[in-house]
Amino acid sequence: MLIEARKLRKYFSLGHGKQVHAVDDVSLGIAEHEVLGLVGESGSGKTTFGKTLIGLYDKTGGQVVYRDRELPQRYQAQDYKRQASEIQMIFQDPYSSLNPRMTIQEIIAEGLLIRDGGNLGSVRDKVVYWLERVGLHGDHLSRYPHEFSGGQRQRVGIARALIVEPKLLICDEPISALDVSVQAQVVKLLGELKQSLGLAMLFIAHDLSMVRYVSDRMAVMYLGSLVEVGPADAVYFSPQHPYTKMLISSNPEPDPVHERQRKDVIVSGEIPSPVNLQPGCRFAGRCPLVEPHCRLETPMLRTVAANHLAACHLL
Amino acid sequence: MNSYEPAAHEFASVARQPGLLTLTRPSQSYWQDAWLRLKKNKRALASLYLIIALLLMTLLGPWLWHQDPTLQDLDVISQPPSFGDTALVVADPGLWAGVTADTATLVPADPDGKLVLTATARIQTVGAATTQYVRVSWDSVPGAAFYLVYRNDHAPESGEDLGLPLGQTLAAAELSFEDRLQLREQDYWYTVIASDEIREATSFTTERIHVQRAITATQARERLLPAPLGATVALQSHPFGTDSLGRDLFARIIEGARVSLFIGIVAPFLFVLLGTIYGGISGYFGGTVDAVMMRVTDFLIALPFLLFMILFRIGFGIGPGESGIFPMLLALVLLRWEDPARLVRGQVLQIREEAFVQAARLLGAQPLYLIFRHMIPNTIGPLLVNLTFSIPMAIFTEAFLSFIGMGVAPPTPSWGSMSNDGLKSMLSSPHELLFPAIFISLTVLAFNLLGDGLRDALDSRMRSRE
Repeated sequence: MLIEARKLRKYFSLGHGKQVHAVDDVSLGIAEHEVLGLVGESGSGKTTFGKTLIGLYDKTGGQVVYRDRELPQRYQAQDYKRQASEIQMIFQDPYSSLNPRMTIQEIIAEGLLIRDGGNLGSVRDKVVYWLERVGLHGDHLSRYPHEFSGGQRQRVGIARALIVEPKLLICDEPISALDVSVQAQVVKLLGELKQSLGLAMLFIAHDLSMVRYVSDRMAVMYLGSLVEVGPADAVYFSPQHPYTKMLISSNPEPDPVHERQRKDVIVSGEIPSPVNLQPGCRFAGRCPLVEPHCRLETPMLRTVAANHLAACHLL
Repeated sequence: MNSYEPAAHEFASVARQPGLLTLTRPSQSYWQDAWLRLKKNKRALASLYLIIALLLMTLLGPWLWHQDPTLQDLDVISQPPSFGDTALVVADPGLWAGVTADTATLVPADPDGKLVLTATARIQTVGAATTQYVRVSWDSVPGAAFYLVYRNDHAPESGEDLGLPLGQTLAAAELSFEDRLQLREQDYWYTVIASDEIREATSFTTERIHVQRAITATQARERLLPAPLGATVALQSHPFGTDSLGRDLFARIIEGARVSLFIGIVAPFLFVLLGTIYGGISGYFGGTVDAVMMRVTDFLIALPFLLFMILFRIGFGIGPGESGIFPMLLALVLLRWEDPARLVRGQVLQIREEAFVQAARLLGAQPLYLIFRHMIPNTIGPLLVNLTFSIPMAIFTEAFLSFIGMGVAPPTPSWGSMSNDGLKSMLSSPHELLFPAIFISLTVLAFNLLGDGLRDALDSRMRSRE
């Protein structure tokens, strides 16, 4: 495993003894050159997991091991600097992820300048190379972020992250703020870069078919905990956990014939509040197959097929 | 209905032709863009020019307008605005012997009271009648013991309407009077009434005398206007008039602008700087540090400014009526930094969580780099707007404090203290209040409009991010 989270936990304090269980005992690893898709509803803790994994949030509990070395519990500036050439991230919102006061050249060169020193002139060639590699023009160098569209900004974000040649890239919903035609371009670009650079990626998204398309493995989160993980096609085509079934059935199928034949899993209700959770299966309140002991005992992940795990008492 | 079957060739990709259509415009930085927006806002631009003009007036004024703001000229007390006035140079008044009649020719007073006093035959001026002095003499009246002299600024309509009683002569032989009482350039009606020991004459003579503007030879020498006696010299113009001590109001407004703008610009700069540092620390560290620091600012709001201003004055040993610019500055800086501190703290808290700051963290940025490269440049816009709005507030505070006598003290002029001086003679010479008040209002208005324009110019970028 390149990076592995072991019982990673992140709670946010709301004061008055209340805590949001954003990520609760999640154990998940990413192998070298592997793309792991992480899906779940809004508020399921996908992004928090990604950010806690690489130290943008302090861990409440558990550990993260990167290449057999345990990463710090609480990051200082030097810790980020040490891992800068290993782990990078691209962000969900292409509008807030670029400093509006900096030119594209300054934004992309930032990582190199922080790591190696030097000035803009000395890294110019490399910046131009990456700018063209992500599909922008060399003459965009001195422009400002507001002159670009969302897709172009996302490309700038990708160039900024990859110029330091990391081994692991966290993609936090990189396409959810883009329109559909641009989504395909960005996903294609990420796929190409992954192939040529040998990147490992954590691809966080809620578009299931897109995640299936880009990922080797797929993990499903619900209310801060992992409910199912396995090979992308296995999870997509034979989901085991009732929540995964619901997610996949809610995902529209492009083929109308296939769409009509699909069985609908109707699940009512919304994701409950993750404040001060009680023991028991977190999905119990919405699960159509719920049994009394689901509400008492927290289910553990268990193997249901080769490399395919799910956390449900009924399996 | 025929169904349309697209052929493969219709979807052939078009090769990119270099240089076929490239629409480009020069890239605009944040400040260039803000300047363009500000230029479109006519009110803000006019305000900017007005502020620049005010600053130039303050800095270059004393070189261009040579009048001494402290020079008192009692000849031109509370004079309304004047341009290109001229004056006659006359001899210094000195001691005037006056006109005396030969005692032998005088008819003494009649002890029986039978002799009816008549009006004097004529009144005449001795020498030129000028604003320095008017010397009148008259013919003797039989039976008069002394004479009363009156002056009026219009033709008397009756014996009750003679105007100002200037004085009376001490003897029957004294047939002249020298008037040096606040003469202005205008017509005066002088009346001489004869009187014996018992009663005044019932008839009198009135003479209209035109008084000419004049300065004495000594005054001319002092003002470096060397001219022979009887020559006409050009006087200083007073475009804004003069105050109650005859000081040039325009020169005083220029001088007063220094105090007003000094307080108005230095105090906001200092308290915005203090607030930025405080708010930046509070926002960057967050958590408990932030909570404690923000409670301190909450406490600060509760402190009454005026009370502290008075306490500082006492603390520095400055009594009533003494100049206290420093305590005013100190009170402003110590009690007004809470607003920019809150602003910066909010901005930093917000920017700290922005994705571009997290990205820079992941790239290994040190805290100082984050603060100076990412946080401050993104805070400077709102901060500039805050500064621009703080300036009129400080100017107004200074004017107010000087107006109530807590700020600068005479002879240093400030717009506030000048307004206070002018208030006393508001009805008789309104220009003394009007000009300083106009300058306070214009400056405060200009800074406020500029602040409005800046906010729009800088904020619109924030809006266009969506």
